Amino acid sequence: MLLNLNRMGPGRYVLYAIGVLTALFLLLPVVFIAALSFGSSQWLQFPPPGWTLKWYAAIFNDPRWMDSIWTSVKVAFTVMVLSIVLGLPAAFALVRGKFPGRTVLHAFFISPMIVPVIILAIALYAFVLKFGLNGTFIAFVAAHLIIALPFSVICIVNSLEGFDESTEKAAIVCGATKAEAIFRVTLPAIRLGIFSAALFSFLASWDEVVLGIFMASPILQTLPVKMWTTLRQDLTPVIASVSTLLIALTIVIMIITAFLRRRYAR
Amino acid sequence: MSGQAPLVNIRNLVKHFGPVAAVDDVSLQVGEGEFLTFLGSSGSGKTTTLFIVAGFEDPTGGDVEIDGRSVLSVKPNERNIGMVFQRYTLFPHMTVAQNVGFPLMVRRRPKAEIDKAVKDMLDLVQLGAYAGRKPSELSGGQQQRVALARALVYKPRILLMDEPLAALDKRLREDIQQEIRRIHRELGVTILYVTHDQEEALRMSDRIAVFSHGKIAQIGSGADLYERPADAFVAGFIGNSNFLQGSVVQSQQDQVAVRLDDGTVIRGNTRHPIATNARVRLMIRPERLTLTPSNDQHDQSLDVTLSDTTYLGDMLQHEVVTAWQQRITVRTNDHAAAASGNALKLHFASTDVMVFEDSSRATA
Repeated sequence: MLLNLNRMGPGRYVLYAIGVLTALFLLLPVVFIAALSFGSSQWLQFPPPGWTLKWYAAIFNDPRWMDSIWTSVKVAFTVMVLSIVLGLPAAFALVRGKFPGRTVLHAFFISPMIVPVIILAIALYAFVLKFGLNGTFIAFVAAHLIIALPFSVICIVNSLEGFDESTEKAAIVCGATKAEAIFRVTLPAIRLGIFSAALFSFLASWDEVVLGIFMASPILQTLPVKMWTTLRQDLTPVIASVSTLLIALTIVIMIITAFLRRRYAR
Repeated sequence: MSGQAPLVNIRNLVKHFGPVAAVDDVSLQVGEGEFLTFLGSSGSGKTTTLFIVAGFEDPTGGDVEIDGRSVLSVKPNERNIGMVFQRYTLFPHMTVAQNVGFPLMVRRRPKAEIDKAVKDMLDLVQLGAYAGRKPSELSGGQQQRVALARALVYKPRILLMDEPLAALDKRLREDIQQEIRRIHRELGVTILYVTHDQEEALRMSDRIAVFSHGKIAQIGSGADLYERPADAFVAGFIGNSNFLQGSVVQSQQDQVAVRLDDGTVIRGNTRHPIATNARVRLMIRPERLTLTPSNDQHDQSLDVTLSDTTYLGDMLQHEVVTAWQQRITVRTNDHAAAASGNALKLHFASTDVMVFEDSSRATA
């Protein structure tokens, strides 16, 4: 190894310090918000004067919060499914296809990641308004699909590029039809890429707020939009509780992902 | 093969990729049970020909017949041909047993039959103990043996192998070559084997088709190619060889006398009549040359200087240099010859000298 900790002498403590500080920098806001969510102070006092679960109870007893959570789940799930349904054939075309303009098309599929979200949001808003779709489920899904698709395409393209097409050919020589070869061999072989694509697509929609604000109506809001509008009215510890729930969900998803990867990556 | 209709009949096969002819009028017949190797360097058309037989490439012209029927309109999954690829193509998410059983599963065979066939095939390739492993837990050699079992489990009459051992190291390669030979003998399956390794081709094949620039330069047994190469390309490609330049001074059917650039006249053999004064290349194998002390007076010989000797264990390899500074390699187990000094005589037996007309395809 180029960097050997044991041979660095006292210099290694500098590295330790940098490592710890970076971790603190990343984690402290999370720890802070989690602590506040259990604090009894209504004014987000830190350190909390006492401990309570009432802010969590407030979320579950308030149908507006529950509605927005349910909306977010529905939107994110639909986006996830569509993102795979559209991303998978697109990735096959981009990797396997032999047509002019393939690299241009590839860049085009990635472009929503580069275009500033606010510009996307304004353009979409104008578009959606024209068709009278503002504030609808369809508008949310369409908007989030635009930012989710690049993740899906990138994940699936990468895993498909790492998959040797000879393996699919081998399945065909073995007697499988093209469709059988793809469904029984190619897709299972690249399932980690598809799984990542689904996960990223879900999360891209789940924590999206800018497009959401433009697409939302008073009766249809995703969770981040609800958080945003609540924050603008008053600073309540309920926000801290919602945030903590979101963080917990993310951690659970990450643990499941790590577990599945370890199990299937062999 | 004689009298009996060939199992595979490739007729005037042509394949163009854009303006390039990857396969340029290839015709050959493969007999039932034969082990035929396509030998050639990369880009010689051998793999493209194999892929056309497999059905993964459509030819621009010509035909491939199996059992007297054209298979060009038959989809690759319906040709009932086995194939082992150069790269590892086991299905990564399936166990060894599931991989080997896959061809039978897609054929909707009953489970008991599949289990039995898988077990038999794994025993054949001596991997019975690995049935439950994933491909990633196997070495490269084991993976290719599983691929072989998978290609044979549905008892195809024809097995195509596209450089299956190219990624393996030399020792392992020789082991698996033996195993493929054994399986070929036991099952009597017809094998079309592609390789760029002439040693592998010589060791395994009944016949070898030497590919060059999309054409078959020569087809024949290993001994045919080595002893009676059709042209300088085949002579240079199969085995080690020395080439000398000269022009024909006398020609009588398959016997020619050639004057080398320094005036020495050497007699040799040719497969095709050559006109007097034609520029030719003489080819002679390193192990067919003999060295004696220079005071020895003899026909068919050249004065040379010894420049280097390498000990190869079973043989000595001498590098000698002619008066006009051309290097010639001599292999011998006569340890005495070179001990007499640096000035030596190099002898050519006329039966060992092959004479070819100089052509642009020739390689040194």
